[in-house]
Amino acid sequence: MGRKLLLEHINVPGINTFEVYRQKGGYASVEKALKKMTPDEVVEEVKKSGLRGRGGAGFPTGMKWSFLAKPEGVARYLVCNGDESEPGTFKDRFLMTYIPHLLIEGMITSSYALGANTSYIYVRGEMMPQIRILEKAIAEAKANGFLGKNILGTGYDLELYVQPGGGAYICGEETALLESLEGKRGNPRIKPPFPAIAGLYGCPTVVNNVESIAAVVPIINDGGEEYAKLGIGRSTGTKLISAGGNLVKPGVYEIDLGLPVEEFLYSDEYCGGIANGKRLKAVVAGGSSVPILPANLFLKTINGEGRLMSYESLSDGGFVSGSMMGSGGFIAFDEDQCIVRNTWNFARFYHHESCGQCSPCREGTGWMEKVLHRLENGHGSMSDMDLLVDVAKKIEGNTICPLGDAAAWPVASAIRHFRDEFEWHVTHASEAVTRNYGLAHYADPLPKPEPKPEATA
Amino acid sequence: MLRVEDTVQSPVEFSAALIAQFDDVVSRYPAGKQKSALLPILHLVQAEFGWTSAPAMDKVAEYLQLQPIEVYEVASFYSMYFLRPQGKYVLEVCRTGPCCLVGAEKIMDHLEQKIGKEGEVTADGLFSWRGVECLAACGFAPVLQIGPEYTFYEKLTNESVDQLITDLKAKG
Repeated sequence: MGRKLLLEHINVPGINTFEVYRQKGGYASVEKALKKMTPDEVVEEVKKSGLRGRGGAGFPTGMKWSFLAKPEGVARYLVCNGDESEPGTFKDRFLMTYIPHLLIEGMITSSYALGANTSYIYVRGEMMPQIRILEKAIAEAKANGFLGKNILGTGYDLELYVQPGGGAYICGEETALLESLEGKRGNPRIKPPFPAIAGLYGCPTVVNNVESIAAVVPIINDGGEEYAKLGIGRSTGTKLISAGGNLVKPGVYEIDLGLPVEEFLYSDEYCGGIANGKRLKAVVAGGSSVPILPANLFLKTINGEGRLMSYESLSDGGFVSGSMMGSGGFIAFDEDQCIVRNTWNFARFYHHESCGQCSPCREGTGWMEKVLHRLENGHGSMSDMDLLVDVAKKIEGNTICPLGDAAAWPVASAIRHFRDEFEWHVTHASEAVTRNYGLAHYADPLPKPEPKPEATA
Repeated sequence: MLRVEDTVQSPVEFSAALIAQFDDVVSRYPAGKQKSALLPILHLVQAEFGWTSAPAMDKVAEYLQLQPIEVYEVASFYSMYFLRPQGKYVLEVCRTGPCCLVGAEKIMDHLEQKIGKEGEVTADGLFSWRGVECLAACGFAPVLQIGPEYTFYEKLTNESVDQLITDLKAKG
């Protein structure tokens, strides 16, 4: 069993309160950083840890921090991205609900490192209960001297606020989030300038995912080098994986990066296998934007090596036969699921969520949705698959923000790996509306698990 | 989409208690950056009145010293703000992929039978429902939420939905 860094105390009753969290060693990283370290030393530890942004892009957090401009007399901001909206991902909701002080502690330590005196946690508006939880945690931390003026007598001041979003996937993109935080529509900004130079209110700003900020706590407590010992290669530390879809035990799991995917999927410690004794058809490994893989390619790379839960191994094979770690939104599809229907569903999602600034995305996502809808409903034609690939190609790379890519990849990969299923929707149009294509050759290479004998009491 | 009939409502009044909440929100931002308060304030308005009507948005613009269009364009961009009246309880069901893998579509079919067409308000004014995009609760799917507190209901079945509707009806 891997070491838990973020969720170690998740089952302790009352861990959502300041008192219990503190008893369990909480806020030690704030004491250590503010009393014994300079801000630059904190940044250095995060660099050493090799922590990569947990929101999806996987960019090294320490490096992002070191880009922050520090002009004299200009405020700097840390903004936490709690807009978690990527289909398949629900780890940040879990973390904010059950162990909110971990995020608050991470925010204080990180704000100190960046020299921010006002920081915001932007949480998607639908998570109103989590917003209340965080506001309560902030009030508790403030009452105990960890926020406000002159924290722990060190002379460092920090105010922390929670900002609700209004319901828009695009606000998970950092510049759209900043626009939204400024009270505007969530239209992503053209980069450069990057937020590190001109972010919130035109001031230097760092935007980090909830889990990245939380990971700063064990990094400062144990040291960056200790953190980097966990994991594999450039995938250091632990990662929260949101496991959903047709699984025996869906939920949030903290894994050491480098865990074999087979173990994650089938062992009772994690997902416990496919629900209802079914077989695995396909997996989306890192949230709806990443390429979907058929079971056989997911469990083993094209070279026959067992795949690992790490940034490198999941992307082994590139877009031809690999996928991505993304945000860790792990979606398992059983043999009864229809890939065409799911691809249409995702395309509709991206069409709905496109902000409309860039024509390729605004129009292209709509076309993909329409073409997929007619395929799913038995009105498609054989040329539709090439048409979809063509539209996807014309969106990809031609938009201000990555939403265009995120919309294109799932469609392109579904056609790449499941083309026969799409064609069957054309050749067997009337049958396709009444039944699903089934498992075909995407089969899970592992034998179907024997039903477990009933436990005798 | 804003419609003419929605804009010719009688003017709304904001209570002193509501204004005090607005003031608290505005205090979170640097001086002159009060526009940042727009999204939180629209949530407060919707919690108070059940939707964000044009007269209410005009009042918000006045309060934040913005042009009304700056409020309209924001309210119409984000999916959470209702630009027309809704049922007292709006059941928002997640309709995105992971929820559909485990039966969200059946839940929506059931709601259509039980409450009516998506977006329509029941005759008693109590209910309406709509499909919304991923609510970040895929491990507990299918899910729905009900504002303004956005209480969550997880692992839905037709029976649990029936029970929920019965309970809400009793609450009135």
